[in-house]
Amino acid sequence: MRTLARYLRLYFIIEAQYIKARMQYRADFLVSSIGMFFSSLATLAVFWILFNSINDLAGWTFMEMVFIYAFYMIAISPMQILFDHFWQLRFHIRQGTFLKYYFRPLNMMFYYMSEMFDLKGLTQLLVGIGLLIYASTQLEISWTAARVILLLVTLFSAALVQVAVVLIATCAAFWVVDSWPVLGLAWKLREFAPYPMSIFDGAFRFTFTYIIPIGFVAFYPSQLFLRPEQVSPLVYASPLIGIALFALMYWIWTQGVNSYTGTGS
Amino acid sequence: MRSYWALARGSFMVGLVYRFGFLFSILGNIIYLGVAYYLWRSIYQGAETLRGLTFNETYLYVALGSTVFILLKTYADWEIAYEIREGIIAVHLTKPLDLQLLMLAYSLGATLMNLAAITLPTVLILTLVFKVSIPLGLGLALFPLSLLLALLISFCFDYFVGLLAFYIDSNWGISMTKEIIITVLSGALIPLQFFPAGLQAVLRWLPFQAIYHTPLMLVTRPDQGWETFLPMLGVQATWAVVLVVLTRLFYGQAIKVLRIAGG
Repeated sequence: MRTLARYLRLYFIIEAQYIKARMQYRADFLVSSIGMFFSSLATLAVFWILFNSINDLAGWTFMEMVFIYAFYMIAISPMQILFDHFWQLRFHIRQGTFLKYYFRPLNMMFYYMSEMFDLKGLTQLLVGIGLLIYASTQLEISWTAARVILLLVTLFSAALVQVAVVLIATCAAFWVVDSWPVLGLAWKLREFAPYPMSIFDGAFRFTFTYIIPIGFVAFYPSQLFLRPEQVSPLVYASPLIGIALFALMYWIWTQGVNSYTGTGS
Repeated sequence: MRSYWALARGSFMVGLVYRFGFLFSILGNIIYLGVAYYLWRSIYQGAETLRGLTFNETYLYVALGSTVFILLKTYADWEIAYEIREGIIAVHLTKPLDLQLLMLAYSLGATLMNLAAITLPTVLILTLVFKVSIPLGLGLALFPLSLLLALLISFCFDYFVGLLAFYIDSNWGISMTKEIIITVLSGALIPLQFFPAGLQAVLRWLPFQAIYHTPLMLVTRPDQGWETFLPMLGVQATWAVVLVVLTRLFYGQAIKVLRIAGG
């Protein structure tokens, strides 16, 4: 517990300095936030256009899709805000600059992730929260205390799933020269998360539920709030799935860190 | 002209280094083809046609769209921003070459590489595994010309955003915004027919649809006559010329403010 408190305190100190440094570049912050805002709305725009021609998608109404999408936006923002530095892991590994992370009395993953705090990702989080409030008002979801706790727990575990899937892909950089293709594929798969998993069948549904469980980033947990009576027991296991995947990711990371020998340059 | 050809060949060869990457791109494409199939199947829900398009036509459009997308993304904006940051652009400017043609040559080489390594295998998978038949007709014959015009228009947008990096250090937000606007408004993800009527009427005259919608419709509905195709190609060609002229004029302005630190 004391270690956790120490790390939290450290994290706040490091990020406060980082944010001060970034705020030197206000124009960059503004322009990046605008870009983030547009990219947050792209898939929603696709839904909106599609629902001009259809009334429902596999039984889900437009407003329900907005809710699922809002859940997705919030669930992916911790990856964006806290773990953004992992996009550069492949460069650090190839150029040998990754060696510096071995030389501090700190947890290496903590040290590595703390070096970046993505401010523009806050836009994504805000868009998600705004849409979630809007959609749940339209859908007349009553937010009891129990539901709010359930929302926080499911969002947390959905965020763990998302972080785990992307970070496992970035860890490929420890073993292959260019991990971009693996990362790009994981990133592309993530975009399918806000679609109703019920439209898929066969191998696709199996993969998105059990192998690369992006269904647990948004669709399955959202059902707890939209159609609680139809939820399969598996959905209640989603916190466990999040924790298990995160643990798996951490194990792979540890293997990668231990096998890294530098590049000699 | 010979020197630009050499540049294009060079960038084609660079692509060969990333053979491992192409496998993943093709894999990603196959997964997308599957996802798009299920998505549009549940949108059609057994309906014969939606917005005047059959399921097969829409699916061919969307599936082909994903591979054409890879061809037409030139990344010239990211390249220019990177070269300014690293100071490499100064080296280009000392050469007796035109920056726009040089960047176009790079893009063309990469596009040809992607055509051979990603698009053709994906189209083969599409016809052999997913059993999508590509109808023959005049439109299919005009497709290569239309694709070339589309590449030129797409390149001009990327190049224009790249030149903006002469003014501002931050390119991520602008490139992202441009990408989203083009992806959504060009009909790269959904055929334009599905857009609300008012929006559609406006979009038909804008350059975005000339990038994806025009070449994709030529393949989806190839059995129409010149009276349909000529206006489509006319809009494309006009935008290509207008955008080339505009970006050249803009370059003349932008080059005056370029400052390069280090290198």
